[in-house]
Amino acid sequence: MSPQTSIQTKYSLQQRLVLAFGILLILFLGLTGLVLNRAFQESIAASVEERLQLQVYAVLGVAEPDADMSFFVPDLEEARFSQIDSGLYAFIFDQQGNEAWRSPSAVNMALFDMDVTAEDIVPGQMFYGSVETEEQGPMSFASYGTYWSGLEQEFSFVVLESVAPTDAEINEFQSNLWLWLGGLAVFLSLAQYALLYWGMTPLKRLAHDLAEIEAGNKEQLGEDYPSELRNLSHNMNMLIQSERQRQSRYRTTLGDLAHSLKTPLAVISGVIQQDQKLEQKDMQDVSEQVERMNQIVTYQLNRATKSTHTRMLLSPVIIRPVLAKISAALNKVYIDKKINVESDVSADSTFYGEESDLIELLGNLLDNAYKYCQQQVRIQIQNIDKNLQILIDDDGPGIAEQDRHWVLERGARADTRKTGQGIGLAVALDIISSYGGELKVENSTLGGASIQVEIKYN
Amino acid sequence: MRLLLVEDEDLLRAQLVKALEDNDYIVDSVQDGELGLYQANEFSYDAAIIDLGLPKMNGIDLIKAIRAEAKVFPILILTARDNWTDKVEGLDAGADDYVVKPFQIEEIKARLNALLRRAAGFAKPSLDFAHLSLDTSAKQLNVSGKPVELTAYEYKVLEYLMLHPGQVISKMELTEHLYEQDYDRDSNVLEVFVRRLRQKLDPQETLKPIDTVRGQGYRFNVPPN
Repeated sequence: MSPQTSIQTKYSLQQRLVLAFGILLILFLGLTGLVLNRAFQESIAASVEERLQLQVYAVLGVAEPDADMSFFVPDLEEARFSQIDSGLYAFIFDQQGNEAWRSPSAVNMALFDMDVTAEDIVPGQMFYGSVETEEQGPMSFASYGTYWSGLEQEFSFVVLESVAPTDAEINEFQSNLWLWLGGLAVFLSLAQYALLYWGMTPLKRLAHDLAEIEAGNKEQLGEDYPSELRNLSHNMNMLIQSERQRQSRYRTTLGDLAHSLKTPLAVISGVIQQDQKLEQKDMQDVSEQVERMNQIVTYQLNRATKSTHTRMLLSPVIIRPVLAKISAALNKVYIDKKINVESDVSADSTFYGEESDLIELLGNLLDNAYKYCQQQVRIQIQNIDKNLQILIDDDGPGIAEQDRHWVLERGARADTRKTGQGIGLAVALDIISSYGGELKVENSTLGGASIQVEIKYN
Repeated sequence: MRLLLVEDEDLLRAQLVKALEDNDYIVDSVQDGELGLYQANEFSYDAAIIDLGLPKMNGIDLIKAIRAEAKVFPILILTARDNWTDKVEGLDAGADDYVVKPFQIEEIKARLNALLRRAAGFAKPSLDFAHLSLDTSAKQLNVSGKPVELTAYEYKVLEYLMLHPGQVISKMELTEHLYEQDYDRDSNVLEVFVRRLRQKLDPQETLKPIDTVRGQGYRFNVPPN
């Protein structure tokens, strides 16, 4: 398998869709979350600045300077300025940075470093920032520079507000945001699964129907597929049907051919046997050639018929009843031999393929065993996992080791084979090979040949 | 022994008839299944040879029809299709053995011989009664181990009687199974054969193997060994 195909076949359609939609969902919801979070934080920051600005103006509006550069500020409307450690504080600094006034709320506060130089405090301009204080932690501030003409002095008005409440507000917003987005993700995932399930159902049904055809439970695909698949299913039905017809036509034609070739052969064979004028030697030569032609016809026709099956149209055949029929036939033919047949075939042993192939396979193997045994034949058939194992033993002369190779040569031609076990085994071997199985010849514990067949269906 | 041969190929049928008649069988031959069934129903046969590929009624159906009429004579199939599906189907329909085309005439003769003997209940090729032994493949009679010469008709009569031991065989049945249909059925000839057989089988008249059942026929009365 090339690396390209491995990538192409690694993911199923459903996996691809789930994966793509999943990535899209995470990206979309993640980015939405980030954007919303950022917009909310910006709007919070803007509202904090606006509030601080208003407080600065409120202080500025009521502050009265004394001659000694200190300020008198009457009670402010905002109660938090009068309440100690309320989180809202106001300061007035002179040009040199000395404190000229602080709100009652800031009584406990040590001085802090706003990190703002005098140059930054331009009169008439508002400056925003944040600062870390010992008592209140992080705080936002607004600082406004002003020039007091009577005193010939610049002052800066500073209002600080603790960020804790806004932080809490942002935290709450964030947890709400992620909760909703998470819920949305779960809902969309479920919806996606349902949509995929619904959308993929026809494809799944197609796969299931094909499996049913493969298993032999169904003749062809239904026509009730969505329009996108209807063409496909229709074409597949045509293909299956034409393949079936082709197979049966092929078989019939070959059978007729066999019949029409063999009867003349029988006539020729009869003529030479009855012709008094023929020399014994000539008669033997012609007989041999007729027999050779016959074997070639038999072998090639069998081969041709066997190799037509396609794996897609395999159907299960329970072996026991088929074996019973073949055994009954062979018992009739070999009744004089009084053969002792020991059969160990589990009831569920199954062959996946054409019944006629199974009949030919067992017929040829068993005929050899019956023919060459002295008295004893043993048949063992079982499915191990899904694989089929057939063992046929006899107490005959067996097959000599040096003869086994030509028996097992695939595709060896009939006219190069010796008569006897060869032709039956060759036909059996061709059937087994066409199903991807293996045939071995061993010595049997009964003393003769042990034919061992294994067909794997995976 | 009277045989029914059903084969559609004229040349092959003629060859088989000749070979079988050379071998002292009486052969009725027809070329299609319907005629085969008619013959099987109308006449009494000892065995039939039936080709599977027949016109009008195929071999399998013919065999089934013959068996449905409770005819028990052995049937040998001739088949051109050397596959087990056909063989199993034929044997399952009621045939007893098969021969694949093309065949050696000798093979047909050997199979027929075995079928006839088997149908009479003998497992071995020789029919043994006391010190009498008839080798059906060599067509040879031995009395106390010594070969005894028989004419062709004497052999036929003895073989038929031995294949039906203990049964009364009428002169009519004997003529039907041993002679061509148009043969002049003079029962005196049979009596001559039987008398000669008795002399050859039992010169001392100690065993008396062939009874004459008055007004009915003959019976081979020695139980098989």
